[in-house]
Amino acid sequence: MILRVLEVTKTFSLGGSRFSALDNLTLFLSEGDFATVIGSNGAGKTTLLNVIAGTLRPDRGKVEILGQDVTRWPAQRRAKLIGRVFQDPLRGTASQLTVAENLALAAKKGGRGLAPLLSRGRRRYLAQVLASLEMGLEGRLGEKVAHLSGGERQALAVLMATLTRPKLLLLDEHTAALDPANAEKVLAITEKLVAEHRLTTLMVTHRMDQALAVGNRLIMMHKGQIVLDLDEEEKRRLRVEDLVGLFRKVGVSDDALLLATNDDGEKGMMAEEAKKLAHLL
Amino acid sequence: MLFLGALEQGLIYGLMALGVYLSFRVLSFPDLSVDGTFPLGAAVAGILVFRGFDPILAVLGALGAGLLAGAFTGVLATRLRIPGLLAGVLTMIMLYSLNLRIMGRPNLPLLGRPTAFLRLSQVFAIPRGWEALSIGGLFALGLALLLFLFLKTELGGAMRATGDNPQMVQAYGMSPESLTTLGISISNGLVALSGALASQYSGFADVGMGVGTIIAGLASVIVGEILFRPRGIAWHLLAVLGGSVVYRLAISLALRYGATLGFTASDLRLVTALVVLLALAAPALRSALRGETG
Repeated sequence: MILRVLEVTKTFSLGGSRFSALDNLTLFLSEGDFATVIGSNGAGKTTLLNVIAGTLRPDRGKVEILGQDVTRWPAQRRAKLIGRVFQDPLRGTASQLTVAENLALAAKKGGRGLAPLLSRGRRRYLAQVLASLEMGLEGRLGEKVAHLSGGERQALAVLMATLTRPKLLLLDEHTAALDPANAEKVLAITEKLVAEHRLTTLMVTHRMDQALAVGNRLIMMHKGQIVLDLDEEEKRRLRVEDLVGLFRKVGVSDDALLLATNDDGEKGMMAEEAKKLAHLL
Repeated sequence: MLFLGALEQGLIYGLMALGVYLSFRVLSFPDLSVDGTFPLGAAVAGILVFRGFDPILAVLGALGAGLLAGAFTGVLATRLRIPGLLAGVLTMIMLYSLNLRIMGRPNLPLLGRPTAFLRLSQVFAIPRGWEALSIGGLFALGLALLLFLFLKTELGGAMRATGDNPQMVQAYGMSPESLTTLGISISNGLVALSGALASQYSGFADVGMGVGTIIAGLASVIVGEILFRPRGIAWHLLAVLGGSVVYRLAISLALRYGATLGFTASDLRLVTALVVLLALAAPALRSALRGETG
């Protein structure tokens, strides 16, 4: 078992009242699992990723990676096992460093020696890796990341997060801030790299079509709990409208979330249809 | 003579400016402890020379004291989560008392005592009168080179990333807290070294000689950036040294000719601060002129 999240609870105070972002949640991920996670705002998706990555400590419960209890490990120690891409492309890369320097830091994960960050050999290796993105970035190794577009930056962030083949890859709505064309490109790169390195992956998304199309497992969260956990077979049979119906069943009435499925006019229509269907359910 | 003096001072104070560049530009940490670590370097080196130790050893002692004091500020800011500005002020205030204790008096005369300039110029057989320029230049360029090489290592690269995006640094298995502490430590080591050399250059160590160090350092960094528009780290470090020389030259000129314009030496800090203020406010002023908001 790659990941075991055991009976984890995390409570926040919000304006005097307390609410549980994670409520006694248990989740296991086996090697090779590529699970998409959906849920309304405040369902606890990002909190779950933060607790796994170690940027948040749970109030109760345990997190185990490869059978090791990592609950008390600081984030930078867990980072050797975990790759992570954030929603904001600015968060995954250092803008004042060059493309090559960013990649080299990712390649030397946890390394902090006095060896040169960029040797000629490493530069050649990084150019090769970058070429696999097919975005022309291999010719821009010496350019500051600040000069890259959002899509290029996020593609670079995905490459960096997967470069050392982490035991676990955490994706936090990593295509949400991109325009549709770039979102598609970054998602394609993600799927390719995950398949290539057979990475165990947890991908939070707000788009139900994406949650269905990608990965081999689907998890729905609501109020800090997992309310639905589908395997590959069940997932394949499911359509967006079924998912919307399931959302209704657990009492989610987040219109923004339902509409978030539309990518273009056609899918927007589909979402509308799905909403009507959902009312009939 | 005025130019030579400004060049000598520019190089000696340039070490301090390199330190400020490291904290302010590389780590995005405006560190006020330099106002305390500059005289700390002078005090430690001064008392060691006063007690008969070798002046080179005295300079190294100052470097060590600066590294320690900087690490202290780093720990206050990262581990005890005291806001960076306040952490620097706390160290600065503590050092004021500490510097008085180290020296045992507010002013330590060093005229006639051996200096690192004299000692090292004997080693390199430098003709009389060029000691300060050559040895000051050796220190400034040598440490700029070391700093450059360091910033190009894995550790140095991680440090540059820390000032840019601490979250990314953490996500790649390094501690932004440790990297910040190390960087602030190195920065203050350079500043203390500069203070030690400055006291040997001017022939005294004074508890008040650190006032306005941060502003002078920022002015050097900013003047260097504006005049030389450096690209890349190596040019940036040289631009900081160049900025320091230009800044000292401007001060020498102001002191010489300022009187005819009605300026006195006591107006110097006001003018320097105004220059730094203008440079820092420039982006906001520019967008305000274009009618943008925020």
